[in-house]
Amino acid sequence: MAAQQFDTVVIGSGPGGYVAAIRAAQLGQKTAIIEREQLGGVCLNVGCIPSKAMISAAHFLHKAQHDAETMGIHFKDISVDYKQLLKWKTSVTEKMSGGVKQLLSGNTVTIIVGEAEFKSSKELSVKTATGTDIITAKNFIVATGSRPIEIPGFKFDEKEIMSSTGALAMDAAPKKLVVIGGGYIGLEIGGYLAKFGTEVTVVEAGPALLNGVVDPECAQVVARKLTKSGVKVLLNAKAKGQKKSGSGYEVTIEVGGKEETLKCDKILVTVGRKPNSDQSNLKAAGLQIDERGFIKVDAQRRTNVPNIFAIGDICGQPMLAHKASHEGVLVAEVISGKNRVYDAKTVPAVVFTDPEIASAGMMESECKAKGYNDLNIAKFPFGANGRAVSLLETDGFVKMIADAKTGILLGVHIVGPEASNLISEAVLAIEMGARVEDLALSIHPHPSLGETMMEAAEATIGHAIHIIQKPLSKSKEARV
Amino acid sequence: MATEVKLPELGEGVTEGELVKWLVKIGDTVKPDQPVCEVMTDKATVEVPTAVGGVVKELKFKLGDVIKVESTILTLDGAGSSASSAAPTHKEAPKAAAPAPTTAPSAPRSQPAAMPATMHEMMAQNSGIYPPVADSKVLATPSTRRLAREVGVDLNVMKGTGLAGRVTREDVLSQGGNGASTATSSNGSMKAPTFPVPSYQGPAGATEERVPLIGIRRKIAENMQMAKHIIPHFTLMDEAEVTELVSMRESLKDYAEKNGTKITYLPFVMKAMIASIRQFPMFNASIDDAAKEIVYKKYFNVGFAADTPQGLVVPVIKNADQKSLLELSYEIMDLSKRARDGKLKSDEMKGATITITNIGSVGGTYATPIINHPEVAILGMYKISDRLHLKADGSVGSQKVMNFTITADHRLIDGAVAANFLKAFIGKIQKPGLLMMEMR
Repeated sequence: MAAQQFDTVVIGSGPGGYVAAIRAAQLGQKTAIIEREQLGGVCLNVGCIPSKAMISAAHFLHKAQHDAETMGIHFKDISVDYKQLLKWKTSVTEKMSGGVKQLLSGNTVTIIVGEAEFKSSKELSVKTATGTDIITAKNFIVATGSRPIEIPGFKFDEKEIMSSTGALAMDAAPKKLVVIGGGYIGLEIGGYLAKFGTEVTVVEAGPALLNGVVDPECAQVVARKLTKSGVKVLLNAKAKGQKKSGSGYEVTIEVGGKEETLKCDKILVTVGRKPNSDQSNLKAAGLQIDERGFIKVDAQRRTNVPNIFAIGDICGQPMLAHKASHEGVLVAEVISGKNRVYDAKTVPAVVFTDPEIASAGMMESECKAKGYNDLNIAKFPFGANGRAVSLLETDGFVKMIADAKTGILLGVHIVGPEASNLISEAVLAIEMGARVEDLALSIHPHPSLGETMMEAAEATIGHAIHIIQKPLSKSKEARV
Repeated sequence: MATEVKLPELGEGVTEGELVKWLVKIGDTVKPDQPVCEVMTDKATVEVPTAVGGVVKELKFKLGDVIKVESTILTLDGAGSSASSAAPTHKEAPKAAAPAPTTAPSAPRSQPAAMPATMHEMMAQNSGIYPPVADSKVLATPSTRRLAREVGVDLNVMKGTGLAGRVTREDVLSQGGNGASTATSSNGSMKAPTFPVPSYQGPAGATEERVPLIGIRRKIAENMQMAKHIIPHFTLMDEAEVTELVSMRESLKDYAEKNGTKITYLPFVMKAMIASIRQFPMFNASIDDAAKEIVYKKYFNVGFAADTPQGLVVPVIKNADQKSLLELSYEIMDLSKRARDGKLKSDEMKGATITITNIGSVGGTYATPIINHPEVAILGMYKISDRLHLKADGSVGSQKVMNFTITADHRLIDGAVAANFLKAFIGKIQKPGLLMMEMR
């Protein structure tokens, strides 16, 4: 078969790759995208989207079981048809993946299903169902993502010893589950399984859940609620190994120098993800990989080989879908000759625990490291927000950090209902270089959870309305 | 650890220079004292050496950038050995009178930058990307950051005029034209006009050569564009009968030569023009657009256009009203020569209140000159020719005639005023004897 030629070939169709392909095609590049599995990558198929479907269902169940009675609504015989739930979850991912296919086709992107390997910096070989295609292009975008990290002694079978992929595919909630790794993926999956009745034990090697990745106070709120809902959390605990025991497993852990065993039916290992840089024969293209396995890129996401770009998880932290998409657009435009760089001030992060955590900008420790020594920090609790009370979702707060000298907003950390939807305002504010007053003076609709943003901003200045603060005259009003 | 090589002092009163040539490229190994680039100042082109040796890691500027003294021009990897001193070497040996660079950095400037390793990595990787990525502390909205990138403005060195130092869209646009990496705008509040930046693509395969628009050429381009943009020009043309002027100059030639100079028509034109300005002071003025005021100048600094191998430059004769014809001649000769040699000092090209262009010495009957903003007028003088003349007694004689133009800023000067000015000027240049009456 003759070599197919393109202007731009994208390898990987996750939220980085498919977005890059669409923008490249929009800009008139003859574009192809290569995907070895399903369009949409991990995010759409075995990551963000299906886990959110499961979390929504679990939340719904939890509300029906616990909050409905308070509101005077009584359900009889609530039961979970986990197989139907799984079907619905699959319909959600199929819908999204189908949407990606439509968008790619509509933008005249050639979709190639197969496994791509570099033969040189100008040429790929793609193993498809029917044979091997040779594909050449002026530019390549490597968007091949990451995969769950395996730890010694816990080889994934995705049935009983699972990564997130296996956990999302289970057709029933296990009775007892050990989650190794108290990061966001473990807590999201462990959290929703607990609501479906699984007895969950989280084994975290560090001193706290979500250690170092979110505001510690936010993490505390989630930890408290997890414990309250029956999830057992073991901190500073190392998983040493496992062995089959009856129909289940015994997991050996080490806490404070002592070994313990945990009995369970299934094991979920969520200790992180690693870039897929050992695949696609990147060496043949001459790409430089750093010691953590990320492809080295510059601010335009160009690799050391000028016609090859890398975006998303494969090129560095944070491994988040929205960062990948942003880079996808950026790179497609760079290829079209536009002067673009990655210069976003913040990548928001959201954790779909109960309650949700969302953050944008810097944590307090990061502000200090950046040289902001004089900070105004304030929190506004959801308990003081009318909408949160009427939702029966009063756990959590909005925390804002501002530079005391200029009033400029440096960080927003939310733990509470719809934190994931509330954070976008903070992202815009930070990108625009807003001062907290800008947020405080923008009229927020009542009653809404969004009011907490305005109030937290007011609290940062020193005079929120709906919590008791110092008199206005003595407050530390930010001045320029 | 990367070592930063900074632009050293280039000489007294020189705060910046324009990068005209890199003498090294990324990856080159340089020795202490080795010249790394050529920088053009108002005075001369200077080779800038590095104080330390190492491997060139990143070039911070591109050709044509105006670099401020003390800015980091490049970074070196593995820098170690340092030279005892690193004074810039002037390519042309400076004349004895020219101030030699007084201060030179005597120690290698290798203070470790206080930034986290990741940041360093990022910066190192960003070589070749211009402008550099804006630091997270830069206050500019995403769309402003993109605009800055597209017009080539480095936000890291810009001072924003917005609240809390926010860089506004206007700030970026006002910097956009010059593409300078180091912002040098002193009139922060004054918004410079912005111009479209069209690209040019020749037909495929056409034989064309591209050279960077830098140095004097770029300065000329910027000044002309600005002048034409701001000033509504109009030009009035007339001829003067200069038979008397020609014979007067002839009679003074020997005297001038004995005094070591050459007398041209320019000093006479200057004197006649200044005498005319005294009647029409609006020709020696400026418009302060920002303040919405007209500034009438009580001093007479006359610029004259000089054609040099590098391009047009305009030396200025300060207080021309207070100088004799002989003094003016000396000064014109001196300035012209040094203009041709590229040795004018920057303040010798600044501060004109009105300009004379003397394109007539080359050819052409009339031209429509461009005013040297912020001046409001430019006087043009053209070649002298002979013409037949019917005398009062009916006999035919010959006359010398010379064409003049006055180009004025119509915002300040009306057509009739310019006509009267030109008439007054021609009256004086036709009767140079009259000039004596007003001379001081």
